[in-house]
Amino acid sequence: MAKNDLQGTLDLLVLKTLDQNAALHGYGIVLHIQSASNDLLRVEEGSLYPALHRMEQSGWISAEWSLTETNRRAKYYKLTAIGRRQLQQVEESFDQLVKGVRAVLRYA
Amino acid sequence: MALFRRLTNLFRYNAIDRDIADELQSHIDLRTDANLAAGMSPDQARRDALLRFGNPTSTRERVAAFDTSLALASLWRDIRYAARQLRKSPGFALTVIATLAIGIGVNVAIFSSMDAVVLRPLAVPALDHVMVLAEQQQRGKEPVTLADFNDLRRQNRSFEDLAAIQGANFTLSGVGDAAQISADLVSSSFFRVLRTNAFLGRTFDESECEPGRDAVAVLNYGFWRRHFGADSRIVGQKIQLDQHEYTIIGVLPRTMQYPPAVDMLLPFAPTPTQSANRSDHSFLVLGRLRDGVALHSAQSEMQIIADRLAKSYPATNQGWTVHVEPLLDDINGDLTPLYYKLIMGATMFVLLVVCANVANLQLARGVARRPEIAMRTALGATRKRIIRQLLTENILLALVGAGLGIGFAALYLHLTLIAMPARVARYIPGWDNISINGRALTFSILLAVLSGIVAGLAPCIEALRIRLVDQLRAGSRQATGRSRLRSVFAVAQISLAVALVIGAALMAKGMSSMFHQADIYSPEKVLTLHPDLPVKRYDTPEKQAAWYTAALDRLRAIPGADRVEMATALPYTDSGWQLDVAIENRPTTPGKLQTAVRLAVTPGYFDAFHIPILDGRNFTLGDSAYSMPVAIVSQRFADHYFGGNNPIGHRIRLGDSKSHDPWLTIVGVSEEANYSLWENDLPPAVYTSFAQQPLAGSTIAILAKGDPLSLAGPARKALASIDAGIPLDPVQTYRNLIRDNLVGLMYAASMLALDAFIALLLSAIGIFAVMANLVGERTREIGVRLAMGASKDDVLRMILRRASWLTGAGLTIGLLLAFALARLVANLLRGVRPDDPITFGTVSIIIIGVALAASWFPARQASRVDPMQALRSE
Repeated sequence: MAKNDLQGTLDLLVLKTLDQNAALHGYGIVLHIQSASNDLLRVEEGSLYPALHRMEQSGWISAEWSLTETNRRAKYYKLTAIGRRQLQQVEESFDQLVKGVRAVLRYA
Repeated sequence: MALFRRLTNLFRYNAIDRDIADELQSHIDLRTDANLAAGMSPDQARRDALLRFGNPTSTRERVAAFDTSLALASLWRDIRYAARQLRKSPGFALTVIATLAIGIGVNVAIFSSMDAVVLRPLAVPALDHVMVLAEQQQRGKEPVTLADFNDLRRQNRSFEDLAAIQGANFTLSGVGDAAQISADLVSSSFFRVLRTNAFLGRTFDESECEPGRDAVAVLNYGFWRRHFGADSRIVGQKIQLDQHEYTIIGVLPRTMQYPPAVDMLLPFAPTPTQSANRSDHSFLVLGRLRDGVALHSAQSEMQIIADRLAKSYPATNQGWTVHVEPLLDDINGDLTPLYYKLIMGATMFVLLVVCANVANLQLARGVARRPEIAMRTALGATRKRIIRQLLTENILLALVGAGLGIGFAALYLHLTLIAMPARVARYIPGWDNISINGRALTFSILLAVLSGIVAGLAPCIEALRIRLVDQLRAGSRQATGRSRLRSVFAVAQISLAVALVIGAALMAKGMSSMFHQADIYSPEKVLTLHPDLPVKRYDTPEKQAAWYTAALDRLRAIPGADRVEMATALPYTDSGWQLDVAIENRPTTPGKLQTAVRLAVTPGYFDAFHIPILDGRNFTLGDSAYSMPVAIVSQRFADHYFGGNNPIGHRIRLGDSKSHDPWLTIVGVSEEANYSLWENDLPPAVYTSFAQQPLAGSTIAILAKGDPLSLAGPARKALASIDAGIPLDPVQTYRNLIRDNLVGLMYAASMLALDAFIALLLSAIGIFAVMANLVGERTREIGVRLAMGASKDDVLRMILRRASWLTGAGLTIGLLLAFALARLVANLLRGVRPDDPITFGTVSIIIIGVALAASWFPARQASRVDPMQALRSE
């Protein structure tokens, strides 16, 4: 059975984003998801941070303060080894979910 | 790992919080930068960034939730906030804490005493596994025979082990005064079954339970303290029991006072003849169930063994089965748990009244807090958050109250322990264990949290009702819902108070009628002594009769003694048990029991205690051991067994069919006298003459001309001159004897009275608060009324009408509740009718009086409202 709550989907998006980019701050993650989804997905900016801190506490991502190109201080997030394994799991379970939903839609 | 990190984060909460704030701010700054780059004005750029982000404070809290074990962190903040709020209104906080302290304190005290006496009278591991075994036949339960005990012990698989106990009395000498003591003979398995070790020294083992090696004794803690002054070097010392030397080898722990009132335990070393006896039903048997064996399966196994024994030994075992019952039930009996349930229930009622009171105070304070709550809601606090805050505040109050309450409970318990006479306390297993222990503390915390929640519910409901916009607008009106809620609380308080006061009044009335039922005998002028002749030295009726005759002669010679009489029991003390009665030349019908209580008395007894002889003659000095054995029966006996025919001249015999007692010729019929304190229906009674058949365990009554206690010294001296080794205690007035028997009941009644008093006081405060608040809220309206021409009396009447309505509702519900409670009390006590009109009427009037008095002040305040000022104030 695939784990298919909405929180899981946000986790997947964040993990995948960090997998594709070396290190990003929260604002960068918001921008990346928006542009990579061709403006289809917009993460509510405030609600991203609880998710980031939860994942950090679970050891999936690590964080570090650093300077942006515009010389502002920002907290950068990076995927850890545990996070990479987690991403794999979440991806698989998301695939299952998509397959399942598709099958149901076809049947109808 | 993650949890550990979160917990450590808790200690650097401020740093973490700043870090989060920085991170969120950096996000907003980055968005603002991007907006500026896209060409927005600085103001617009900033506004857009904030809008997109949402409420930063609430996000910060949510983020922090993941970094720390938030539940704890925010709880701490809630507590600090609550403490700050409470410090701002110290009067409120102190009132609430004091009422909660009383409510919780009373409950903890009652719980502690119930816990020690009813729930764990013995500190025995897994007490629920310990059973009492009795042999049972048609007539009822009896102790077990030794041969049956040995068979049950060998053949069963349900019990880890069984232990046999036999009561015995000895005269202790060698150390201090000679004393008559009660020492039980127990098999060595006794200590295994109860899983108890010695507090000092050791207990005895199997090898010491053999004739010749059994001269060792284990003391009970209470006896060790009473008789040996808690001497820790007692182990190894020698004592004399009936002139035989025993060595003290140990002392049992304080919490192991079992069997009740037993002074020491000696090894039971049966002879082979004793071990083979199947007819002497005299052994109390205890057993410890194996783990996982249920009571009913043990019971059915015992049944099987009993059936087998009945087949093998039909002469002795036909018709006998074995009954298994938890030791706890056996110790408690029927009444004690019932009393405790009654008091505990009443005390819980008091806590409810306390909670209602606190809720009421909270609601009153709620007015002042509305803007604060509205402000917090406006700033983004969720409802959940506000409710949690309010509950935290209430639980905090209740916990502080519980802290004080425990002190209150300790004081209370100290006072009850002092008030209980040691003579009575000895018979209550567990009484010495009463203390405020871990369980009581847990109970108090539980109660505090619970009452915090109950009391906090009202302000919470209230907070949910707050309409933000209304509140922020100035000069808002009160919602009427709140005052309705407060009225509900006031009504609930009054009704609980009515029920408790009526219950307590009935209990007190019943108790006093029981206490005074012996007044016709002028019990305050009678001194009672309880001589206990050592069986071994007074082993024949002749020797006993000689002592009693000498005792009566010497006591009658004391100046100041009006009359001296003797009886096995005085009216309203204790009837003892009923014996079978056989009537000569009349076969007994199977299944129909003929029983009567038996009392041995002196000839002057009937006259001294105003019991008229209705027919025939009284005992005379001529009725002696050498003349025809005679009896006097009670009127009820004659009615019951002779159907109104004259019983005089018939012969009866007491005891079962195998009895060797002589046939007694009935020579008289007496008026009824009640020997039981508790029972309402009097059993038929048979009086025998003391001179013909002296019975052990008698009471000597000295009817004094003046102060009976002044005769105690001369009486002791007179009896010591016959034999100094005979214990006489307790030596006290007849009235005190009755009072001691009622001590448990007095305890229950005074508890209930205390509960009722607190409830009454609180409900008076409750109705006062409601009315005061009502007047405060309606000041303007009252001003208008007065301005429009209403008189002061009209206003007074209007307010009092409202108060009467509340009181009336509370009284009605309360009377219904009280009726249910009264039926319970009536079952417990004699002389109490559940529909006692005087009590119900008086209490109703008192409650109405208290309620109206409490509302009088607010009402008068209302009538004094100055219309001009009231109208101008808005």
